[in-house]
Amino acid sequence: MQSKIKVIPTTLKVKDLPPTAISMSNMLFNKTGSWRNYKPVYDEKLPPCNATCPSGEKIQGYLYLVKNNKFAEAWQLIKQDNPLPAVCGRVCFHPCEVECNRNDYDESVGIHNVERLIGDYGLRHNLRVKIGIKKKQQIAIIGGGPAGISAAYHLARMGYKPTIFEAERQLGGMLQYGIPSYRLPKNILQKEINSIIKMGVKVKTGMRVGKNLFIEELAKKYHAVLIATGAYKERNLDIPGEEARGVIGALDFLHEANLPRRQAGSGKKPTISKDVVIIGGGNAAMDAARSALRMGAHPKVIYRRTRNEMPAIPDEIRDTEEEKIDFIFLAAPVKVITKNNKTVALECIRMKLGSADSSGRRKPIPVKGSNFRIKTGTIIKAIGESPETSFIPASLLKDNLVCTDKWGMTAQNNIFAAGDAVTGPKTVVEAIGAGKRSAQAIDKYVRTGKVTHTEIPEVKPVRFEQLNTAYFEHAPRVSMPHLEFKQRVKSTKEVYLGYKPNEAITESDRCFSCGVCNFCDNCWVFCPDMAVIKKKNKYEFNYDYCKGCGICASECPHNVISLVEEKK
Amino acid sequence: MKEVTTGNHAVSYGAMLSRAQVIAAYPITPQTQIVELLSNFCATGKLKAKFLKVESEHSVMAASIGASLAGARAFTATSGQGLALMHEMIHWAANGRLPIVMADVNRSMAPGWSIWTDQNDSLSQRDTGWIQLYCESSQEVTDSIIQGFKIAEKVYLPVMVILDAFVLSHTSEVIDLPDIKLVDKYLPPFKARDMMDMKNPRAFGGLVTPDFNFELKYKIQEAMNQTIPVAKWADREFKRILGRSYGIIEAYKCEKADTILVTSGTITSTSRYVINQLHAQGKKNVGILKIRMFRPFPAKEVVAVLSKAKKVAVIDRNIGYGVGGIFCQEVKAAFGNEKKHPEFFNFITGIGGRDVTPKDIQGIIDYTETHKKPKEDIIWVGLRK
Repeated sequence: MQSKIKVIPTTLKVKDLPPTAISMSNMLFNKTGSWRNYKPVYDEKLPPCNATCPSGEKIQGYLYLVKNNKFAEAWQLIKQDNPLPAVCGRVCFHPCEVECNRNDYDESVGIHNVERLIGDYGLRHNLRVKIGIKKKQQIAIIGGGPAGISAAYHLARMGYKPTIFEAERQLGGMLQYGIPSYRLPKNILQKEINSIIKMGVKVKTGMRVGKNLFIEELAKKYHAVLIATGAYKERNLDIPGEEARGVIGALDFLHEANLPRRQAGSGKKPTISKDVVIIGGGNAAMDAARSALRMGAHPKVIYRRTRNEMPAIPDEIRDTEEEKIDFIFLAAPVKVITKNNKTVALECIRMKLGSADSSGRRKPIPVKGSNFRIKTGTIIKAIGESPETSFIPASLLKDNLVCTDKWGMTAQNNIFAAGDAVTGPKTVVEAIGAGKRSAQAIDKYVRTGKVTHTEIPEVKPVRFEQLNTAYFEHAPRVSMPHLEFKQRVKSTKEVYLGYKPNEAITESDRCFSCGVCNFCDNCWVFCPDMAVIKKKNKYEFNYDYCKGCGICASECPHNVISLVEEKK
Repeated sequence: MKEVTTGNHAVSYGAMLSRAQVIAAYPITPQTQIVELLSNFCATGKLKAKFLKVESEHSVMAASIGASLAGARAFTATSGQGLALMHEMIHWAANGRLPIVMADVNRSMAPGWSIWTDQNDSLSQRDTGWIQLYCESSQEVTDSIIQGFKIAEKVYLPVMVILDAFVLSHTSEVIDLPDIKLVDKYLPPFKARDMMDMKNPRAFGGLVTPDFNFELKYKIQEAMNQTIPVAKWADREFKRILGRSYGIIEAYKCEKADTILVTSGTITSTSRYVINQLHAQGKKNVGILKIRMFRPFPAKEVVAVLSKAKKVAVIDRNIGYGVGGIFCQEVKAAFGNEKKHPEFFNFITGIGGRDVTPKDIQGIIDYTETHKKPKEDIIWVGLRK
């Protein structure tokens, strides 16, 4: 096929010549690749969603699978990193959506809505993950919250049969007892937990550290122990009258409100007054207010700063506002007014915002003489939690938190820790990520006796400016169907109803696939030298002829192709 | 099927019925409606073509060249300044011997900035190697696009179908849209010369030394020579299958004419109206020669008609500065080696979109009949002196 350049004899006549200026022979001999100064390479990069996800979900990957109607494969992919997609699809604060490059174009991709559908799909179809070669080492996990469940799941995938010791009657921790069922239905949580237990996780409930369970003993009996006890000790207001009847902690309230009737300690739902006041601006405050609303009360939320400084996740604040719950901003409690040790009112003081404090938010300063009273029979404190550490050996603690290296190992070699016990109160997905990392560390430790790790260099995710957005059409985010206000207050039914499969496909199709090839063919179409070769599931460059013009790189919508300077 | 349509949409229908496969376009007044309707056809699936929005007319023609080289039936449309911007690629298309069909809506060249008609834009491309067809009605526009592909794909030269801005592009009349099955019969799918073969890739448009470039240019003239019989054949075939015929020129009521008007574009239809009235009054010594095909210039055919007349009034809606009307120059040149020729009167009118009315045509006839010879080289009609 290849030919050498030929000198055309001048004896040729008009009739012998081609109709127009075309080379007489083919040009394959002319390896134009030698002209190249820059070489294009397929160089997949990190999408910002994946980079941000605390449990490291390959979000672009599962959106691509969903787009192609491959829900089971999407479930398998998500389960590599997250044992609880149906849960996280509902309760995660989805920082992935904040980082989504689509925000700079129209609206972020509804990642958590798709994640939820994938999780539900897995449950509905009883999908199973593959379990590795059986391993003998025994591992104890203290605490069956998100961190403990995540560690148990990842260890089970590797072939271990870890044991979870749980103080409560059921696994789930904050998921079970903290998050109301209108956000996370109990049956969904239970199914997702059950599917993990079926992988070979042993569960012992009613085991409370310091009471019938001791860390040092476990450390002797088991090859490794993971402390994943969470953070559930509620902070006090430190104001007069706090001990009165009618002042309760948000977690205690949510715990009771969340128990099925027959299980509740007192046999009935906690009683609250209609004029209940919730103090705080975090997620627990929002959950408490919305739960109280569903119990027939007219809750008021008091927060010492303004809406802008509220630590609750924006979706929760929006939902709370939609449910027409009253907010009193720039007010702080100073005294609980009691009558016969019963709460009758809360005295507050007005605040104003000063300069920024260590958290970066503006510090509230009391306004002298601005005290006022709110009539109320119930006050729910939701001003934060901290880990309960009284049962943890002091040698493992620092500043009331369990102290570990970044792989979760404490000062004692076979004791690891993960989740809120290490970090203080954080989110579900962060605990899940920590559980995953500690499972990997424990695996290494029990097999090799030490946790060695190579430093992974920090990789910058692909940003909006690096994409070629000419190829993306504007498309609104598929809205999530949800119950209207009137239906919400009457029951504890789940507020958000979930995408239908076709909605999830439409939404997944909005993904920019930042840094990851999704086989759009642009490079193949645009290459002026036909130097892109299309193969099954990949493209290759034919460097014999690629001149390095860079058109492929600039026309790649996803910033997959990089240009590397040729060293000559 | 009868349809009320503008000249612009008549272009779009022509391209659709021809089953154009690639349409690269950039909008420009007064051409915009053409691409609007075509993009609509593409979006709704009425026309299965790749519609390319490009960033300039230069790229329009570049993309059309690429498409045509690859074997697709390529269509586009432009006007005035857009055509001028395309100029480099206009040469490429012809030298590349590519059967692209393009509609040009005549628009006066700026400055003074204008969107109105005259022929200087298309006539400035007359020597590029494109075949040029000037149309007088919407029906002729649709039919000429279809015929254009038939001719282009036979002789491998691009075809420009030309219509007047607004006077034709934006006025509506009833046309007969041909049945696409009949058009398919007339114009089968384009089968390109086997030039582009991915397995045997050759270089296009590369360097050609003086040893051979001369011969390649000769081949273009050779193709132009073939074009006149091919265009006549394409017109006959059109008549046979689709029932209409235009000829490459048309002698209208010239049987007893000693004065003949030479016209093109919509001035032809205005002149027909005047001539019809005169003939109805019994004055039958005036006729019209409509020049439909300007490139290649059908000199022999023109001479055959005009040599019977004593006086010829060439009406030019254009001007070759420093010479006179361009049609007039070509007509005179056609008689170059003839022993005898009629007296030529060169009227220039309608430049910059000025209306040319039946009264103007009557004035032209009156002047020609009352003068033995023209008093000036150029007789300006309607000039505000």
